[in-house]
Amino acid sequence: MIAITAESVTPLTDAEITTATPAVRMRGLSKRYDERWVLRDITLDVPTGSYLALLGANGAGKSTLLHTLAMLSPATRGELSLFGESAARPSPALRARLGMIGHQPMLYRDLSAIENLVFFGKLYDVSRPKQRAMDMLERVGLADRALSVVKTFSRGMVQRLSIARALMHAPELLLADEPFSGLDVPSVQAVSALLAELHADGKTVILTNHDVRQSLELAQRVVVLGRGRVVSDRRAQDANADEVTREVIG
Amino acid sequence: MTRVLREIMLVSAKDLRIEARSRQTLGLVAVLGVLIVVVLGLGLGPQQVKSGMAATAVLWVAYLFGGVLCFEKTMAVERHDGALAGLMLAPIDRGVIYAGKLISNLALMLALALIVTPVAVVMFGFDLSAAPLGFVAIMAGGFVGFAAIGTLFAAAVSSTQSQGGLLAVVVFPVSLPLVIVSTQMMMRLFGEGEPLGAVGLTVLIAFDAVYLVVSWLVFELILEP
Ligand SMILES: Nc1ncnc2c1ncn2[C@@H]1O[C@H](COP(=O)(O)OP(=O)(O)OP(=O)(O)O)[C@@H](O)[C@H]1O
Ligand SMILES: [Mg+2]
Repeated sequence: MIAITAESVTPLTDAEITTATPAVRMRGLSKRYDERWVLRDITLDVPTGSYLALLGANGAGKSTLLHTLAMLSPATRGELSLFGESAARPSPALRARLGMIGHQPMLYRDLSAIENLVFFGKLYDVSRPKQRAMDMLERVGLADRALSVVKTFSRGMVQRLSIARALMHAPELLLADEPFSGLDVPSVQAVSALLAELHADGKTVILTNHDVRQSLELAQRVVVLGRGRVVSDRRAQDANADEVTREVIG
Repeated sequence: MTRVLREIMLVSAKDLRIEARSRQTLGLVAVLGVLIVVVLGLGLGPQQVKSGMAATAVLWVAYLFGGVLCFEKTMAVERHDGALAGLMLAPIDRGVIYAGKLISNLALMLALALIVTPVAVVMFGFDLSAAPLGFVAIMAGGFVGFAAIGTLFAAAVSSTQSQGGLLAVVVFPVSLPLVIVSTQMMMRLFGEGEPLGAVGLTVLIAFDAVYLVVSWLVFELILEP
């Protein structure tokens, strides 16, 4: 059935086109582990090119939501589409548009930093993977440790390498699960600069974070999750840090 | 097609590089295999040992236990630090991950066989030169099917987090048909000196094909980060 309304006849502006096919579209997304519902009826659109921060207490479902968006585990109910393509049976081409920083580094501890990046770069068919890997190591401040094996790295260094891995193929949608955890002050700045750069490039960024003030500074939009539900959804510039903190605490 | 092959080789080359660096798996598996051959050789005593029948059976025991350890170890590499999730995020088919892991496992089993078989030859006075090509053909047929299901079950078992020994318990019964067919063929070949039967080899290859296809199909369903 095709319904032609007056609205759909008028040509779309650029801004409307980007909202027309959002980077992420969730409709009634729910996820159950055993008998417990961890995500409940989440309906959200994340427009292409936007920067969203997901906040919420421990166990609120932030990581579960990011895993679902990354198509690592399917939702129990509801619909998910990324860039207009259904996530039910994702094509490799759709996966190539995604990058993820997780709680786990997703690296091989017996390989060196550069070997890890080159390996993942090749999986994504990155052109000149060695060059790109060196550039990324430079960006996260690990160029001098390029040849060191990952198991000799400190926690913060592993985290930075994991961020470099996620950005090797310049993903159009970055899902970053607490990307700043374990980082020192200069690294936090370097990584927020990387994310801001990605966003300025028109890429979509979704991050989870426990620092409310920092999230309000970095992102355009903040969504608070509580027990698997969307508690609030605001523009960052309109949000009050104390109020958001209260919502996070629940 | 070439793209898929390149991706498979990439996954497998990474495993072999890790193994070459740490030598964890092969070191352990070689010691286990040699121990099995020596202990069983001594246990069976000189009478049994000379028959040549015992040698093939003992070799199979060494390959089976060694193989299961290989499957466990190559999967553990992916489980550490969530590396498997990194592979699953990448724009490659799940089948590529399966095939890459299978090749790594086969490479390790080949290395195991190259170490353990000569030990058995010496220990049992097993006359391999009677039918070297037949031996290789039967072994290859057995290994492919065994590694095919081993690779699948290693991925399934490691995601249930109840590790340690469970893999052997599930893989051995399923690989029983392969073991029976190949040991029977070996015993005929070396014991009674019959030529390598086309029928036996066909049965072996048919088992391999079934195991490969089913495992490849099921792998996608059971793979969890
Ligand atoms: N694999 C799993 N099996 C069973 N339950 C799970 C699993 N993963 C997560 N959960 C449950 O889902 C809920 C949400 O977990 P999740 O990791 O998404 O929270 P989170 O918001 O990321 O928390 P944190 O701030 O601690 O990272 C928790 O109650 C957790 O116990
Ligand atoms: Mg989390």
